[in-house]
Amino acid sequence: MRVRPAFLSIFLAAAAPAAQPADSPAPGEWAVYPGSYNSQRFSSLKQVTPANAARLEVKWVYHVPGSLELEMTPVVKDGVMYIAQFNRVDAIDAVTGNVIWRYQRPPASNAAYRGTSVYAGKVFVATTDNHLVALDARNGAVVWDVPTASGRRLSGAPPFAAKGKVVVGILDQPDGFIEAYDAATGRHAWTWHAIPRPEDPEYKTWSGYTKEGGGAVWISGSFDPEQNAIIWGTGQPNPPYSNEVREGDNLYSDTIAAIDIDTGKLKWHFQTTPHDQHDWDAASGSKVLFDAVYEGKPRKLLIQADRNGFLYLLDRTNGQFLRGQSFIDDMNWATGLSAEGRPILKGDGAKPSLKGTLTCPSTAGATNWPSATYSQVTHWLYIHAIEGCGVNFRSSSTPGAGTSYIESPDDKTKWVSHIRAIDPLTGKRIWDVTEVRSNHYGPGLLSTATGLLFAPEQFGYITMRDARTGKDLWHFNTGDFITASPITYQLNGQQYFAIASGTNIFVFGLKHGGKGGAK
Amino acid sequence: MKRLALILAGIAFPAAAQPTLVEQGKAVYDRVCTACHGANGGAGDRAPAIVLAGASGALRGERSQAQLVAIVRDGIPGTGMPAWKGRLSDDDIDHIGAYIGALRGTALDNPMRGDPVKGQAVFWGKGGCSSCHMINGRGSAVGPDLGNIAATRKTTAIHDALTKDRHGVFGDGGVHLPMIPPMNYEPVTVVTKAGKTVEGVMRNQDHWSVQMVDMSGMLHSFDRAALRDFTIRPGSVMPSDYDKRLSGEEFADLMAFLTRQGIKPKSGDDE
Repeated sequence: MRVRPAFLSIFLAAAAPAAQPADSPAPGEWAVYPGSYNSQRFSSLKQVTPANAARLEVKWVYHVPGSLELEMTPVVKDGVMYIAQFNRVDAIDAVTGNVIWRYQRPPASNAAYRGTSVYAGKVFVATTDNHLVALDARNGAVVWDVPTASGRRLSGAPPFAAKGKVVVGILDQPDGFIEAYDAATGRHAWTWHAIPRPEDPEYKTWSGYTKEGGGAVWISGSFDPEQNAIIWGTGQPNPPYSNEVREGDNLYSDTIAAIDIDTGKLKWHFQTTPHDQHDWDAASGSKVLFDAVYEGKPRKLLIQADRNGFLYLLDRTNGQFLRGQSFIDDMNWATGLSAEGRPILKGDGAKPSLKGTLTCPSTAGATNWPSATYSQVTHWLYIHAIEGCGVNFRSSSTPGAGTSYIESPDDKTKWVSHIRAIDPLTGKRIWDVTEVRSNHYGPGLLSTATGLLFAPEQFGYITMRDARTGKDLWHFNTGDFITASPITYQLNGQQYFAIASGTNIFVFGLKHGGKGGAK
Repeated sequence: MKRLALILAGIAFPAAAQPTLVEQGKAVYDRVCTACHGANGGAGDRAPAIVLAGASGALRGERSQAQLVAIVRDGIPGTGMPAWKGRLSDDDIDHIGAYIGALRGTALDNPMRGDPVKGQAVFWGKGGCSSCHMINGRGSAVGPDLGNIAATRKTTAIHDALTKDRHGVFGDGGVHLPMIPPMNYEPVTVVTKAGKTVEGVMRNQDHWSVQMVDMSGMLHSFDRAALRDFTIRPGSVMPSDYDKRLSGEEFADLMAFLTRQGIKPKSGDDE
């Protein structure tokens, strides 16, 4: 469906809040995948409070025809919500749920695609024929359409727009990398490779075996304007579990990397799982940037709950490891972290074996890409943590042999999801809610200035919780799985919360909360 | 670990395909497919399940072996599924097809020898199966309906259910696949604040409510706030010694009956 430009301009004038500088997401909007560049997923909106959360209701539901178990986080800017899939963007009125326009480049695709950015009047989307496209946010017109610099297909990581660049990731075998394009023209700006070439010094961390590579960049990260750097994560080295062919740390697999947004040069890196043998992508965990007084000094910090089960506190100006500890109860592959933040392996680190090796956390992860949130009210980090173990095995003792993993068959070590509040400066667990039935991946979280935690669960229960106590204040059953992260925004005096569940976008707000739109 | 071995046995040696081809296919699959599709086709963090409930019709097992192999070879335009032609040998691609075909095969593809007519008599008589299960609308509503069991389970899974303490539908592939509706039927005891005790099996639950079926087959939905006690016990109300409580012949006949209960989906149908 296309809307005449005249109508569109009237709509924008009526529904949009005051124009904001294009460079940083405005309060009340959710213009980039993590809401704000620091990935705190903390909203300053205050209409919904612990006192009135019980008055939340569904405002509208938008069905995304042809989709399949959406893992996508919508974005909202200037009164319009953008829902991105490979080859496709749906623009809908963020107050009523009415479609404004839809871009569909053939063929339709339901491969996992996790969102987009709206930036300087454009929306960005990757295509299955290896292009990156910029659409006019007003009407879906193609502003530019470029083949990727590598000629390879982009991953489902949401295109991330900041400081005049659109930054995207590559998943496809054999190696992962990050590409940046000029947001205005689509011109390729730079490429950063996670996997070294033979001439690079990091090549020696692979014992010469980079043929299968790894380091997939399948989710986008954060941007720190002060360091002029994107801070993103990379995936596991290959082959994933059968590791003897690639002796060494395997840089820059499973790495948190700060990369200059202008030049693509690596500023610093921190590797969470050197020589990974369990597919614990460091791409997965949210790279949450925050400032706090740590050990008596104001510090620029980064906190990441990692798929390998450790919580890492870093100095984000240089990547220095400050502290870390396990955020799960059951960990059997490492006993802790060294002063430099390296895992101290327990025995062989739960090496996958022919008969199967119990591994805690499992390969599905102690947490995964669904987002964490940092509350500026409580100063705590909130995460989805998954207790339990997997069994990792290999099909033969030949180097590089086939491998696989399953959920532990033992009731005592089966997978159970938790919502956890953690003090990021001490690692202390503040409260813990055991989810019902939910057992892996699951939805992301967000927090608000009134002390709320929007905390959906994998099996479709949307819960609003008190961020201080974890107490549930309101809940709603969407009836389908949730494996996406939530957003909040405000329009016409009404604060909305939105999340994808199954093939639908659900949008909530207070009954009689605003002046316009659906009541 | 015991169950792991059972799962592996169930997957690696199904009917129809030669074990060697399937085993070779599993080795290739585990090397190149698990990072996206997960172990045993049960979904990973980058691509969907290709067996069982979470998969679309196209992926669930309604493609012929030749179609499967073509998809692995040529990829699927518009999805993240790459073409493996040129990156894997033709043999490897064929073996992956054999392995996925094996993952998807069900008891209907491999009905057990024995007398299904006599097995039917065991089901309704000495076996006592109908005290919990239904077939064609007859029987009890406590346990799963078995009218289509052979189209949804492997022969090994049915055998395990009758003979092993631990058996799980997740062993059919899609090991950590979450399922709606839930398929666990855990034994449960509920005591209400009014003092009423209800014994039965679980159907569903959330933070605020519990749904269970009592041993007469009646559904109860409780507000958790109205409960004094709510205890789920591990294991199953299902006896697991049918290979002992029945004679060898009776057991074989029952297996022959159960492995024929179902309707084969038409090939090529999609949603």
